[in-house]
Amino acid sequence: MHTRLFLPLPLLAAFVLLPSCKKDKPEPAADQPVVVGATGGVYIANEGNFQFGNSKVSYYNIASGSAVEDLYQPANGVALGDVCQSMSLFNGKGYVVVNNSGKVVVVDPSSFVATATITGFNSPRYFLPVSNSKAYVTDIHANGIAVVNLSTNTITGSIHCPGWTEELVLAYGKAYVTNETRDKVYVIDTSNDQITDSITVSMGGNSIVADANGKLWVMCSSASSKLYRIDPVSMQVEELYTFPNSSDSPWRLNINSGSDTLYYLNKDVYRMPISASALPGSPFVATDGRNLYGIGVEPNSGVVYVADAIDYVQRGTVYRYKADGSLINSFQAGIIPGEFCFQ
Amino acid sequence: MTRAASLLLILLILAASAARAHSLADTIALGQVEINATRLAEFSSGTKVQQIDSVTMARYRWSDLGELLSDETPIFIKSYGSGSLATTSFRGGSANHTAILWNGFNIGSPMNGMIDLSLIPVSIANSVSIQYGGASALWGSGAVGGSIHLNNMPEFGRGLTVDVGASFGSFGELRQQARVEMGQGKWISSIAVYNAIAHNDFDFYNTEQRGAPLQQQQNAEFKQQGLLAEEYYRINGKQRINLRFWYENSDREVPPTMVQETSSAEQQDESYRATAEWQHLSASVKTVVRAAYFDEQLSWYASELDPAALNHSCTAIAEAESSIRLDRGQLINVGINNTYALAFSDGFPDEQHQERAAAFASYQLDSRNSLSKTTLSARQELVAGKLAPLTGSLGSDYKLNGWLTAKANVARVYRIPTFNDLFWKPGGNPDLLPESGYSGEAGLAVDHELAGSTARFIGDVTGYSRTMDNWIIWLPGASYWTPMNIMNVWSRGIEAHAAVAMHVEQAMIKLGVMTNYVLSTNQVAKSANDASVDKQLIYVPAYSGNGKLSLIYKDLIATFGMNYTGYRFTSTDNAEYLEPYWLANASIAYKLPLRGANEISLLAQGFNLFDEQYQVMLGRPMPLVNFQFGISLRFNRPQPTTPKDTDRHAH
Repeated sequence: MHTRLFLPLPLLAAFVLLPSCKKDKPEPAADQPVVVGATGGVYIANEGNFQFGNSKVSYYNIASGSAVEDLYQPANGVALGDVCQSMSLFNGKGYVVVNNSGKVVVVDPSSFVATATITGFNSPRYFLPVSNSKAYVTDIHANGIAVVNLSTNTITGSIHCPGWTEELVLAYGKAYVTNETRDKVYVIDTSNDQITDSITVSMGGNSIVADANGKLWVMCSSASSKLYRIDPVSMQVEELYTFPNSSDSPWRLNINSGSDTLYYLNKDVYRMPISASALPGSPFVATDGRNLYGIGVEPNSGVVYVADAIDYVQRGTVYRYKADGSLINSFQAGIIPGEFCFQ
Repeated sequence: MTRAASLLLILLILAASAARAHSLADTIALGQVEINATRLAEFSSGTKVQQIDSVTMARYRWSDLGELLSDETPIFIKSYGSGSLATTSFRGGSANHTAILWNGFNIGSPMNGMIDLSLIPVSIANSVSIQYGGASALWGSGAVGGSIHLNNMPEFGRGLTVDVGASFGSFGELRQQARVEMGQGKWISSIAVYNAIAHNDFDFYNTEQRGAPLQQQQNAEFKQQGLLAEEYYRINGKQRINLRFWYENSDREVPPTMVQETSSAEQQDESYRATAEWQHLSASVKTVVRAAYFDEQLSWYASELDPAALNHSCTAIAEAESSIRLDRGQLINVGINNTYALAFSDGFPDEQHQERAAAFASYQLDSRNSLSKTTLSARQELVAGKLAPLTGSLGSDYKLNGWLTAKANVARVYRIPTFNDLFWKPGGNPDLLPESGYSGEAGLAVDHELAGSTARFIGDVTGYSRTMDNWIIWLPGASYWTPMNIMNVWSRGIEAHAAVAMHVEQAMIKLGVMTNYVLSTNQVAKSANDASVDKQLIYVPAYSGNGKLSLIYKDLIATFGMNYTGYRFTSTDNAEYLEPYWLANASIAYKLPLRGANEISLLAQGFNLFDEQYQVMLGRPMPLVNFQFGISLRFNRPQPTTPKDTDRHAH
């Protein structure tokens, strides 16, 4: 009887232990804080996944070619937050807009240690300093643009503006604000925080830049996407370029430091001199099976940074291209690299 | 017919039949058990079928199906929190790769192909069975990683039974259930109602915030009401009919993630499920004709101020099958199924509908010496005029000796695209193909009892492998995301389970251990430089397992269990992951017998006893230690017995 008892026992033990013979501990992420220089680099805002809280700010050192995947977590011992939309540098401070955490984190640009957190936003997108003590922050859901006091790091008010306010630029003492869900570029007088005017464009305004001639360029993406050139003084549309296909979805309008060449994404990367009379026909960098998601143009050198978000659920890759379109190198960033912030 | 009218009609039928049951002094003897899911009982050779035993079912009386499956099976339940969305990953598959059937009908939503397990109270079913592995040939689309069968199986002739109970739990949880069953002669009428409310305002350490502050969960209230009415009637010695109606509505707040400041989102679900079945039994032929109508509505409010995003679907299913016993141990089953689904959603341009027809057949052979049982099955489905993959399976059980059985099964499996995949605007892709693949498994099962029945060993080990092609994922298109048949996933693993039960004096001690290992990897690059190739899918733990110790002494059952869930990756390149966790649960159940068949049942449970801080899904906090106490009363007045009652006709 007892011998029969011992037959199944080792068998059962073997069954149960069989699966546990392979190690599965993953490689932990680097957790040593990195201090970066004050010049010669670029910060990359990696959105991360909505509600995953895995947004990161990467850093690339141009001279050494070395990349750090995340500056924030190692420096602060806590993750940055949910969906890092953009980052701006102003007066020796970094302002990191964390969209779905409803906050702007103020960091030391070298150590990336957070020195303050501006809270109370709804769904913040882009940060624009309009004076030494004041900045505007656009928002998807707030139906308004937040006014931030940069001395106290608090929200002092909101400029009522219906719809999803997106990118914004400063020109002639006024802020020009794109709107994804209204057919307007809104004009704000920064001295009194009032919307004084609006310029009619098409729906889907997503990006805006100012060029060397003091003109504004606005990208609007919809079933009939358009690129506008606007004179900010007369507030008139001077030029209008219409994208030919309903499947065109241009965005991420950028400009080089000479402010004479536009770059934008429309699946591929396109380049267009501000003096051009038509939209470019062929891409500057072809998408080539990638999922291109962001562009940045390095000041002075004009090197173009192109972010590949791959499947949106893994670390993205950033490619660097010379002005002639040839690839220099690439480096790894965080999940969904979107916006670049050059030192 | 409006919903209110249909509800009224069902209630009228129920009332009428209950009245009829009283008036019948009829004691025609029949077999005691209804047939359910014949295909599961008869045509699943070669696959592992786990039936949750009645003691365990009683322990989950105040829980939802997700909680039961998470603790008692290797299925990984992707739970977003107490009372929040819970979906499955079975043998490394997606949530769409588990078929969930209620009394033989697939209750997966046509919109997204799955069902939220947190909305299904365990008490809704009398029996829960899990069939492991691919069985699309039996159950159609979605039976890829496995299938879950919820069945209602009444017992005839129990007379009047009334069950009432309530449970009280941590974080403002209150549940109530009441059931009245009238079983007399040829009839059974039963009606059950249930109600639940939970504030879910538990405290948790927010490890995503600086200093991991202790926070209280916000906006997490769960409210649910439901009704289940069942009607069974034996027309004569050969024919039976039954009707079932299940109504449920839930209203849930959707809590913020650990990285969100606040949330005021809310989700409301309402479902009506009605089924009817006719069975004809003779010595060699069983015929079943069944029909179902499901109506489900989901309203999502992103915030209090936002308008509802509406999703509404209706499904009508009709099925007929006959199983015929031939000589020399042969059994065949042939059947047809027609499923019509329609759906409206704010995400669809118009109302969408889909017609599906399927024919299926199985052949089973018992060897002459009764040592082996082999089943061959096939199913062909026509979806909106297009042929789904022809699926087949071949499986066999072979008794190696008195205590050891070998099992093996190969199957072709598939799952059809959901309405959201096909019709969502923008992005829905009407040209999607069904996902399809092959699965194979082999295993050994031990069931060994010592002479004198002082101890019994039960165990099994199964190795499996499955490749799934045309795996659908949503990828960015020209200007919006669109689903594409792009991934190819290879899932393989080992499941093992061992249990020993011993009699010690008057008590019984049971010790069980379950371990699972699954690798589920993407095999193709979705785009240039995709680092997910050969990497584990996100939210598939490679390791999981549990151990459970039970002590049964007279009417007292004490159980202590530990569950382990290993690393789960949250990025497809496997660079980001969630930490493993151990959960310790304990329960004490006591049944106080009263006069006759009356009784009082008490259940006290503690969950997460060691205060593990854990997240099943990234950024979704889970409660620390918490408790539940339940009490239920059963009152039974038996049917007056006559000599004929003890007769039992074979079916």
